[in-house]
Amino acid sequence: MIRFENVDKWFGTLQVLADVSGEVRRGEVKVLVGPSGSGKSTLIRTVTRLEKIQSGRVSVDGADVAARGLDINRLRQRIGFVFQAYNLFPHLTALGNITLGLTKLRGLSKAAARERAMEELARVGLTGKAHEMPGLLSGGQRQRVAIARSLAMDPEVMLFDEPTSALDPEMVGEVLAAMKRLAAGGMTMICVTHEVGFAREVADEIWFMQAGRVIERGRPAELGDKATHPRLGAFLRKVEQSLGS
Amino acid sequence: MLEILQNNWLLFLVGQYPHGPIGGLAMTLFMASISLALCFPFAIGLALARLSPYRWLRLPATAIVHTVRGLPLIMFIFWTYFFSPLVIGRAVGGVETLVIALVIYEAAYLSEIIRAGIEGLPKGQVEAATSLGLRYWPTTIKVVLPQALHNMLPSMVSQFVSTIKETSLGYVISAHELTFAAAQVNNVLLTQPFEVYGILALTYFALCFALTSLARFIERRISGDRGGTPGVTIAA
Repeated sequence: MIRFENVDKWFGTLQVLADVSGEVRRGEVKVLVGPSGSGKSTLIRTVTRLEKIQSGRVSVDGADVAARGLDINRLRQRIGFVFQAYNLFPHLTALGNITLGLTKLRGLSKAAARERAMEELARVGLTGKAHEMPGLLSGGQRQRVAIARSLAMDPEVMLFDEPTSALDPEMVGEVLAAMKRLAAGGMTMICVTHEVGFAREVADEIWFMQAGRVIERGRPAELGDKATHPRLGAFLRKVEQSLGS
Repeated sequence: MLEILQNNWLLFLVGQYPHGPIGGLAMTLFMASISLALCFPFAIGLALARLSPYRWLRLPATAIVHTVRGLPLIMFIFWTYFFSPLVIGRAVGGVETLVIALVIYEAAYLSEIIRAGIEGLPKGQVEAATSLGLRYWPTTIKVVLPQALHNMLPSMVSQFVSTIKETSLGYVISAHELTFAAAQVNNVLLTQPFEVYGILALTYFALCFALTSLARFIERRISGDRGGTPGVTIAA
Protein backbone atom coordinates (compact mmCIF):
# COMPACT_ATOMS: atom_id res chain seq x y z
CA MET A 1 0.00 0.00 0.00
CA ILE A 2 2.84 2.37 0.89
CA ARG A 3 6.11 1.84 -0.88
CA PHE A 4 9.44 3.58 -0.43
CA GLU A 5 11.89 3.12 -3.29
CA ASN A 6 15.47 4.33 -2.92
CA VAL A 7 14.38 7.47 -1.11
CA ASP A 8 17.03 10.14 -0.60
CA LYS A 9 16.54 13.41 1.19
CA TRP A 10 18.91 16.17 2.18
CA PHE A 11 18.50 19.13 4.51
CA GLY A 12 21.09 21.35 2.87
CA THR A 13 24.24 19.24 2.82
CA LEU A 14 23.02 16.85 5.50
CA GLN A 15 21.61 13.64 4.14
CA VAL A 16 18.69 12.64 6.36
CA LEU A 17 17.35 9.77 4.27
CA ALA A 18 19.71 7.53 2.35
CA ASP A 19 18.48 4.95 -0.10
CA VAL A 20 15.47 3.91 1.98
CA SER A 21 13.32 1.20 0.49
CA GLY A 22 10.51 -0.78 1.97
CA GLU A 23 6.87 -1.60 1.77
CA VAL A 24 3.92 -1.42 4.11
CA ARG A 25 1.04 -3.64 3.12
CA ARG A 26 -2.58 -3.03 3.94
CA GLY A 27 -3.35 -4.00 7.52
CA GLU A 28 0.29 -4.11 8.55
CA VAL A 29 1.77 -2.32 11.53
CA LYS A 30 5.36 -1.18 11.07
CA VAL A 31 7.26 0.34 13.95
CA LEU A 32 10.25 2.56 13.24
CA VAL A 33 12.90 2.73 15.93
CA GLY A 34 16.36 4.24 16.10
CA PRO A 35 18.33 7.01 17.74
CA SER A 36 17.08 10.55 17.38
CA GLY A 37 18.10 12.20 14.16
CA SER A 38 18.11 8.88 12.34
CA GLY A 39 15.39 9.96 9.91
CA LYS A 40 12.39 8.05 11.30
CA SER A 41 10.07 11.05 11.51
CA THR A 42 11.29 12.43 8.22
CA LEU A 43 10.53 9.13 6.54
CA ILE A 44 6.88 9.03 7.57
CA ARG A 45 6.52 12.73 6.79
CA THR A 46 7.43 12.00 3.17
CA VAL A 47 4.30 9.85 2.81
CA THR A 48 1.98 12.87 2.81
CA ARG A 49 4.56 15.20 1.32
CA LEU A 50 5.10 17.11 4.54
CA GLU A 51 8.69 16.62 3.47
CA LYS A 52 9.76 16.56 -0.16
CA ILE A 53 12.36 14.08 -1.27
CA GLN A 54 15.23 14.73 -3.65
CA SER A 55 15.36 11.35 -5.33
CA GLY A 56 13.62 8.00 -5.22
CA ARG A 57 9.91 7.43 -5.04
CA VAL A 58 7.25 7.27 -2.36
CA SER A 59 3.95 5.84 -3.51
CA VAL A 60 0.58 5.11 -1.98
CA ASP A 61 -1.44 2.43 -3.77
CA GLY A 62 0.96 2.80 -6.68
CA ALA A 63 0.49 6.56 -7.02
CA ASP A 64 3.66 8.64 -6.69
CA VAL A 65 3.02 11.21 -3.94
CA ALA A 66 5.36 13.68 -5.66
CA ALA A 67 3.49 13.49 -8.97
CA ARG A 68 2.27 16.83 -10.27
CA GLY A 69 -1.17 15.59 -11.22
CA LEU A 70 -1.81 14.03 -7.81
CA ASP A 71 -4.43 15.68 -5.61
CA ILE A 72 -2.24 15.76 -2.51
CA ASN A 73 -5.04 17.07 -0.30
CA ARG A 74 -7.25 14.16 -1.23
CA LEU A 75 -4.40 11.79 -0.44
CA ARG A 76 -3.85 13.49 2.92
CA GLN A 77 -7.50 12.91 3.79
CA ARG A 78 -6.87 9.18 3.41
CA ILE A 79 -3.81 9.22 5.66
CA GLY A 80 -4.10 10.20 9.31
CA PHE A 81 -1.10 11.82 10.94
CA VAL A 82 -0.54 12.06 14.69
CA PHE A 83 2.19 14.41 15.90
CA GLN A 84 4.46 14.29 18.91
CA ALA A 85 3.27 17.78 19.94
CA TYR A 86 -0.44 16.86 19.34
CA ASN A 87 -0.93 20.07 17.31
CA LEU A 88 -4.51 20.48 18.38
CA PHE A 89 -6.04 23.78 17.32
CA PRO A 90 -5.99 25.70 20.62
CA HIS A 91 -8.80 28.07 19.63
CA LEU A 92 -11.29 25.25 19.07
CA THR A 93 -12.85 22.85 21.57
CA ALA A 94 -11.99 19.17 21.45
CA LEU A 95 -15.18 18.69 19.45
CA GLY A 96 -14.40 21.65 17.18
CA ASN A 97 -10.99 20.18 16.42
CA ILE A 98 -12.65 17.07 15.08
CA THR A 99 -15.59 18.64 13.26
CA LEU A 100 -13.40 21.10 11.30
CA GLY A 101 -12.23 18.52 8.77
CA LEU A 102 -15.63 16.88 8.62
CA THR A 103 -17.50 20.07 7.71
CA LYS A 104 -14.79 21.59 5.50
CA LEU A 105 -13.67 18.46 3.69
CA ARG A 106 -16.40 15.88 3.99
CA GLY A 107 -19.17 18.41 3.51
CA LEU A 108 -21.02 17.10 6.55
CA SER A 109 -23.67 19.30 8.14
CA LYS A 110 -22.80 20.70 11.54
CA ALA A 111 -25.12 18.26 13.27
CA ALA A 112 -23.81 15.24 11.37
CA ALA A 113 -20.21 16.29 11.97
CA ARG A 114 -20.91 16.71 15.66
CA GLU A 115 -22.44 13.26 15.85
CA ARG A 116 -19.50 11.70 14.01
CA ALA A 117 -17.02 13.55 16.22
CA MET A 118 -18.78 12.37 19.38
CA GLU A 119 -18.47 8.77 18.16
CA GLU A 120 -14.72 9.22 17.79
CA LEU A 121 -14.41 10.91 21.17
CA ALA A 122 -16.29 8.00 22.70
CA ARG A 123 -13.86 5.57 21.08
CA VAL A 124 -10.93 7.28 22.84
CA GLY A 125 -12.94 7.63 26.05
CA LEU A 126 -13.30 11.41 26.05
CA THR A 127 -17.01 12.01 25.62
CA GLY A 128 -17.00 14.17 28.73
CA LYS A 129 -14.30 16.45 27.39
CA ALA A 130 -16.01 17.34 24.10
CA HIS A 131 -16.50 20.98 24.99
CA GLU A 132 -13.17 21.58 26.73
CA MET A 133 -10.50 23.74 25.15
CA PRO A 134 -7.27 21.82 24.46
CA GLY A 135 -5.40 24.02 26.92
CA LEU A 136 -7.42 22.52 29.75
CA LEU A 137 -6.78 18.90 28.78
CA SER A 138 -3.90 16.76 29.97
CA GLY A 139 -1.24 15.69 27.47
CA GLY A 140 -2.68 12.21 27.20
CA GLN A 141 -6.16 13.58 26.61
CA ARG A 142 -4.88 15.99 23.98
CA GLN A 143 -3.15 13.22 22.11
CA ARG A 144 -6.28 11.10 22.23
CA VAL A 145 -8.29 14.00 20.80
CA ALA A 146 -5.65 14.32 18.08
CA ILE A 147 -6.04 10.62 17.29
CA ALA A 148 -9.82 11.01 17.23
CA ARG A 149 -9.44 14.00 14.91
CA SER A 150 -7.49 11.87 12.45
CA LEU A 151 -9.77 8.86 12.75
CA ALA A 152 -12.87 10.93 12.09
CA MET A 153 -11.69 11.35 8.51
CA ASP A 154 -11.86 7.54 8.06
CA PRO A 155 -8.23 7.19 7.04
CA GLU A 156 -6.89 4.03 5.43
CA VAL A 157 -3.50 4.51 7.04
CA MET A 158 -2.40 6.09 10.30
CA LEU A 159 1.06 7.57 10.75
CA PHE A 160 2.26 8.17 14.30
CA ASP A 161 5.25 10.42 14.88
CA GLU A 162 6.45 9.71 18.43
CA PRO A 163 2.92 10.12 19.82
CA THR A 164 3.94 9.42 23.42
CA SER A 165 7.35 11.13 23.60
CA ALA A 166 5.97 14.41 24.95
CA LEU A 167 3.80 12.72 27.55
CA ASP A 168 4.32 12.21 31.25
CA PRO A 169 4.91 8.50 31.91
CA GLU A 170 1.54 7.94 33.57
CA MET A 171 -0.26 9.10 30.42
CA VAL A 172 1.65 6.98 27.94
CA GLY A 173 -0.54 3.96 28.62
CA GLU A 174 -3.83 5.56 27.65
CA VAL A 175 -2.47 6.66 24.28
CA LEU A 176 -0.82 3.31 23.59
CA ALA A 177 -4.07 1.58 24.48
CA ALA A 178 -5.90 3.61 21.85
CA MET A 179 -3.22 2.72 19.31
CA LYS A 180 -3.38 -0.97 20.19
CA ARG A 181 -7.13 -1.03 19.70
CA LEU A 182 -6.60 0.57 16.33
CA ALA A 183 -4.03 -2.03 15.34
CA ALA A 184 -6.28 -4.83 16.53
CA GLY A 185 -9.01 -3.40 14.32
CA GLY A 186 -6.82 -3.96 11.27
CA MET A 187 -5.64 -0.40 10.64
CA THR A 188 -2.54 0.02 8.51
CA MET A 189 -0.06 1.89 10.68
CA ILE A 190 3.47 3.24 10.67
CA CYS A 191 4.57 4.23 14.16
CA VAL A 192 7.71 6.06 15.12
CA THR A 193 8.11 5.30 18.80
CA HIS A 194 10.52 4.43 21.57
CA GLU A 195 7.92 2.24 23.25
CA VAL A 196 9.63 -1.11 22.92
CA GLY A 197 6.85 -2.97 24.67
CA PHE A 198 4.33 -1.59 22.20
CA ALA A 199 6.61 -2.49 19.32
CA ARG A 200 7.02 -6.09 20.51
CA GLU A 201 3.31 -6.51 21.08
CA VAL A 202 1.80 -4.82 18.05
CA ALA A 203 4.38 -4.57 15.27
CA ASP A 204 4.34 -6.90 12.31
CA GLU A 205 7.84 -5.70 11.59
CA ILE A 206 10.28 -3.33 13.25
CA TRP A 207 12.58 -1.17 11.14
CA PHE A 208 15.76 0.02 12.78
CA MET A 209 17.07 3.28 11.35
CA GLN A 210 20.41 4.91 11.79
CA ALA A 211 21.90 7.90 9.96
CA GLY A 212 19.08 7.99 7.43
CA ARG A 213 19.18 4.30 6.55
CA VAL A 214 17.02 1.35 7.49
CA ILE A 215 19.84 -0.90 8.61
CA GLU A 216 17.89 -3.81 10.07
CA ARG A 217 14.35 -5.11 9.93
CA GLY A 218 12.82 -7.87 11.91
CA ARG A 219 9.69 -9.41 13.30
CA PRO A 220 9.36 -8.92 17.04
CA ALA A 221 9.67 -12.66 17.64
CA GLU A 222 13.05 -12.78 15.93
CA LEU A 223 14.60 -10.01 17.97
CA GLY A 224 16.13 -12.30 20.56
CA ASP A 225 18.30 -13.72 17.81
CA LYS A 226 21.54 -11.80 18.14
CA ALA A 227 23.03 -13.28 15.02
CA THR A 228 20.50 -11.85 12.59
CA HIS A 229 19.67 -8.58 14.30
CA PRO A 230 22.65 -7.56 16.41
CA ARG A 231 22.19 -3.79 16.31
CA LEU A 232 18.42 -3.69 16.52
CA GLY A 233 18.39 -6.09 19.46
CA ALA A 234 21.09 -4.11 21.23
CA PHE A 235 19.25 -0.86 20.65
CA LEU A 236 15.97 -2.21 21.98
CA ARG A 237 17.66 -3.61 25.09
CA LYS A 238 19.33 -0.29 25.71
CA VAL A 239 16.04 1.60 25.40
CA GLU A 240 14.33 -0.90 27.70
CA GLN A 241 17.08 -0.56 30.28
CA SER A 242 17.05 3.23 30.26
CA LEU A 243 13.28 3.28 30.67
CA GLY A 244 13.38 0.61 33.36
CA SER A 245 15.88 2.49 35.50
CA MET B 1 -7.60 75.41 33.33
CA LEU B 2 -10.83 74.21 34.90
CA GLU B 3 -12.57 77.34 33.78
CA ILE B 4 -11.43 76.83 30.20
CA LEU B 5 -12.70 73.29 30.38
CA GLN B 6 -16.01 74.42 31.89
CA ASN B 7 -16.59 76.89 29.06
CA ASN B 8 -15.36 74.76 26.20
CA TRP B 9 -15.88 71.10 27.12
CA LEU B 10 -18.46 70.58 24.44
CA LEU B 11 -16.12 71.93 21.77
CA PHE B 12 -13.37 69.59 22.95
CA LEU B 13 -15.81 66.71 22.99
CA VAL B 14 -17.76 67.04 19.73
CA GLY B 15 -16.44 70.18 18.00
CA GLN B 16 -19.01 72.67 16.70
CA TYR B 17 -21.73 70.03 16.53
CA PRO B 18 -24.75 70.50 16.27
CA HIS B 19 -24.15 73.98 14.86
CA GLY B 20 -21.35 72.84 12.59
CA PRO B 21 -19.42 69.74 11.62
CA ILE B 22 -18.84 67.16 14.30
CA GLY B 23 -15.28 67.29 15.60
CA GLY B 24 -13.24 67.16 18.77
CA LEU B 25 -12.61 63.94 20.66
CA ALA B 26 -15.60 62.25 18.99
CA MET B 27 -14.11 62.82 15.53
CA THR B 28 -10.65 61.76 16.67
CA LEU B 29 -12.01 58.45 17.93
CA PHE B 30 -14.21 58.00 14.89
CA MET B 31 -11.34 58.59 12.46
CA ALA B 32 -8.96 56.31 14.34
CA SER B 33 -11.57 53.51 14.52
CA ILE B 34 -12.76 53.75 10.94
CA SER B 35 -9.20 53.93 9.62
CA LEU B 36 -8.17 50.84 11.51
CA ALA B 37 -11.33 48.99 10.49
CA LEU B 38 -10.94 49.92 6.83
CA CYS B 39 -7.25 49.08 6.69
CA PHE B 40 -7.81 45.66 8.26
CA PRO B 41 -8.60 43.72 5.06
CA PHE B 42 -5.69 45.39 3.27
CA ALA B 43 -3.37 44.57 6.16
CA ILE B 44 -4.38 40.89 6.11
CA GLY B 45 -3.92 40.81 2.34
CA LEU B 46 -0.47 42.38 2.59
CA ALA B 47 0.58 40.05 5.40
CA LEU B 48 -0.53 36.94 3.49
CA ALA B 49 1.13 38.20 0.31
CA ARG B 50 4.39 38.81 2.18
CA LEU B 51 4.33 35.22 3.44
CA SER B 52 3.34 33.81 0.07
CA PRO B 53 5.59 31.26 -1.61
CA TYR B 54 4.97 33.11 -4.88
CA ARG B 55 7.46 35.84 -5.73
CA TRP B 56 5.00 37.82 -7.82
CA LEU B 57 2.87 38.29 -4.69
CA ARG B 58 5.64 38.54 -2.15
CA LEU B 59 7.85 41.12 -3.83
CA PRO B 60 5.27 43.83 -4.55
CA ALA B 61 3.76 43.45 -1.08
CA THR B 62 7.19 43.72 0.52
CA ALA B 63 7.95 46.77 -1.60
CA ILE B 64 4.70 48.46 -0.57
CA VAL B 65 5.25 47.80 3.12
CA HIS B 66 8.84 49.03 3.04
CA THR B 67 7.95 52.12 1.04
CA VAL B 68 5.11 53.14 3.33
CA ARG B 69 7.13 52.46 6.46
CA GLY B 70 9.98 54.52 5.08
CA LEU B 71 7.91 57.67 4.65
CA PRO B 72 6.41 60.03 7.23
CA LEU B 73 2.65 60.05 7.61
CA ILE B 74 2.42 63.77 6.88
CA MET B 75 3.59 63.03 3.32
CA PHE B 76 0.70 60.67 2.78
CA ILE B 77 -1.64 63.29 4.15
CA PHE B 78 -0.31 65.89 1.72
CA TRP B 79 -0.38 63.46 -1.20
CA THR B 80 -3.93 62.44 -0.48
CA TYR B 81 -4.89 66.03 0.08
CA PHE B 82 -3.52 67.26 -3.25
CA PHE B 83 -3.93 64.22 -5.45
CA SER B 84 -7.24 62.65 -4.46
CA PRO B 85 -9.26 65.64 -5.83
CA LEU B 86 -7.51 65.06 -9.17
CA VAL B 87 -8.41 61.37 -9.09
CA ILE B 88 -11.94 61.67 -7.77
CA GLY B 89 -12.73 64.89 -9.58
CA ARG B 90 -14.10 66.82 -6.63
CA ALA B 91 -12.83 68.47 -3.50
CA VAL B 92 -12.16 66.08 -0.67
CA GLY B 93 -12.73 67.12 2.93
CA GLY B 94 -10.12 67.03 5.66
CA VAL B 95 -11.65 64.04 7.43
CA GLU B 96 -11.85 61.92 4.28
CA THR B 97 -8.32 62.87 3.35
CA LEU B 98 -6.99 61.91 6.74
CA VAL B 99 -8.87 58.61 6.76
CA ILE B 100 -7.54 57.66 3.32
CA ALA B 101 -3.98 58.54 4.32
CA LEU B 102 -4.31 56.66 7.59
CA VAL B 103 -5.72 53.57 5.89
CA ILE B 104 -2.72 53.37 3.56
CA TYR B 105 -0.26 54.10 6.32
CA GLU B 106 -1.76 51.86 8.99
CA ALA B 107 -2.27 48.97 6.56
CA ALA B 108 1.49 48.69 6.22
CA TYR B 109 2.10 48.70 9.97
CA LEU B 110 -0.82 46.46 10.81
CA SER B 111 0.26 43.99 8.13
CA GLU B 112 3.60 43.64 9.90
CA ILE B 113 1.82 42.93 13.17
CA ILE B 114 -0.35 40.30 11.51
CA ARG B 115 2.64 38.80 9.74
CA ALA B 116 4.46 38.52 13.06
CA GLY B 117 1.37 36.87 14.51
CA ILE B 118 1.23 34.31 11.71
CA GLU B 119 4.95 33.60 11.86
CA GLY B 120 4.73 33.26 15.63
CA LEU B 121 2.34 30.31 15.40
CA PRO B 122 3.89 26.89 15.95
CA LYS B 123 4.67 25.23 12.62
CA GLY B 124 2.62 22.24 13.73
CA GLN B 125 -0.62 24.18 13.42
CA VAL B 126 -0.40 24.46 9.65
CA GLU B 127 1.01 20.94 9.44
CA ALA B 128 -1.93 19.55 11.37
CA ALA B 129 -4.41 21.35 9.13
CA THR B 130 -2.48 20.29 6.03
CA SER B 131 -2.40 16.70 7.24
CA LEU B 132 -6.17 16.67 7.55
CA GLY B 133 -6.25 17.59 3.88
CA LEU B 134 -7.27 21.22 4.28
CA ARG B 135 -6.20 23.54 1.49
CA TYR B 136 -4.62 26.97 1.83
CA TRP B 137 -7.75 29.08 2.35
CA PRO B 138 -9.59 26.90 4.87
CA THR B 139 -6.30 26.52 6.76
CA THR B 140 -5.73 30.27 6.71
CA ILE B 141 -9.26 31.26 7.62
CA LYS B 142 -10.09 28.56 10.15
CA VAL B 143 -6.72 27.81 11.74
CA VAL B 144 -4.09 30.48 11.10
CA LEU B 145 -5.86 33.82 11.24
CA PRO B 146 -8.09 33.20 14.28
CA GLN B 147 -5.01 32.34 16.33
CA ALA B 148 -2.71 34.97 14.87
CA LEU B 149 -5.24 37.77 15.33
CA HIS B 150 -6.11 36.62 18.83
CA ASN B 151 -2.45 36.56 19.84
CA MET B 152 -1.87 39.94 18.24
CA LEU B 153 -4.80 41.66 19.92
CA PRO B 154 -2.55 43.60 22.36
CA SER B 155 -0.40 44.84 19.47
CA MET B 156 -3.50 45.90 17.60
CA VAL B 157 -4.70 47.94 20.56
CA SER B 158 -1.24 49.55 20.65
CA GLN B 159 -1.62 50.30 16.96
CA PHE B 160 -4.99 51.91 17.71
CA VAL B 161 -3.25 54.10 20.28
CA SER B 162 -0.69 55.31 17.79
CA THR B 163 -3.44 55.88 15.24
CA ILE B 164 -5.24 58.11 17.73
CA LYS B 165 -2.10 60.15 18.18
CA GLU B 166 -1.57 60.32 14.43
CA THR B 167 -5.00 61.78 13.81
CA SER B 168 -3.68 64.99 15.40
CA LEU B 169 -1.81 65.55 12.13
CA GLY B 170 -5.22 66.15 10.62
CA TYR B 171 -4.88 69.63 12.07
CA VAL B 172 -2.69 70.70 9.16
CA ILE B 173 -5.45 69.95 6.65
CA SER B 174 -8.22 71.30 8.89
CA ALA B 175 -9.78 67.97 9.75
CA HIS B 176 -12.06 68.78 12.64
CA GLU B 177 -10.57 66.61 15.36
CA LEU B 178 -9.36 67.10 18.90
CA THR B 179 -6.22 69.12 18.17
CA PHE B 180 -8.19 71.31 15.78
CA ALA B 181 -10.75 71.96 18.51
CA ALA B 182 -7.99 72.91 20.94
CA ALA B 183 -6.53 75.31 18.38
CA GLN B 184 -9.97 76.89 17.96
CA VAL B 185 -10.27 77.40 21.69
CA ASN B 186 -6.78 78.82 21.78
CA ASN B 187 -7.62 81.25 19.00
CA VAL B 188 -10.59 82.53 20.97
CA LEU B 189 -8.77 82.88 24.28
CA LEU B 190 -5.47 83.99 22.74
CA THR B 191 -3.66 84.41 26.06
CA GLN B 192 -3.73 80.92 27.58
CA PRO B 193 -2.00 78.54 25.16
CA PHE B 194 -0.28 76.64 27.94
CA GLU B 195 -3.56 75.79 29.65
CA VAL B 196 -5.40 74.99 26.43
CA TYR B 197 -2.72 72.67 25.09
CA GLY B 198 -2.31 71.27 28.58
CA ILE B 199 -5.92 70.12 28.44
CA LEU B 200 -5.25 68.69 24.98
CA ALA B 201 -2.23 66.76 26.24
CA LEU B 202 -4.09 65.42 29.27
CA THR B 203 -6.99 64.26 27.11
CA TYR B 204 -4.73 62.37 24.70
CA PHE B 205 -2.77 60.93 27.58
CA ALA B 206 -5.80 59.73 29.52
CA LEU B 207 -7.22 58.06 26.44
CA CYS B 208 -4.00 56.46 25.27
CA PHE B 209 -2.91 55.39 28.73
CA ALA B 210 -6.26 53.70 29.32
CA LEU B 211 -5.96 51.85 26.03
CA THR B 212 -2.36 50.83 26.66
CA SER B 213 -3.42 49.45 30.02
CA LEU B 214 -6.18 47.55 28.26
CA ALA B 215 -3.57 46.10 25.90
CA ARG B 216 -1.49 44.93 28.86
CA PHE B 217 -4.56 43.40 30.46
CA ILE B 218 -5.47 41.52 27.28
CA GLU B 219 -1.91 40.33 26.95
CA ARG B 220 -2.01 38.80 30.42
CA ARG B 221 -5.34 37.17 29.68
CA ILE B 222 -4.08 35.66 26.45
CA SER B 223 -0.91 34.22 27.92
CA GLY B 224 -3.08 32.84 30.71
CA ASP B 225 -5.79 31.04 28.81
CA ARG B 226 -3.64 29.43 26.14
CA GLY B 227 -1.11 28.09 28.60
CA GLY B 228 1.99 30.19 27.88
CA THR B 229 2.88 31.74 24.51
CA PRO B 230 2.31 35.39 25.41
CA GLY B 231 1.36 37.68 22.56
CA VAL B 232 4.18 39.77 21.24
CA THR B 233 3.57 43.46 21.68
CA ILE B 234 5.14 45.62 19.04
CA ALA B 235 5.76 49.04 20.53
CA ALA B 236 3.70 51.74 18.87
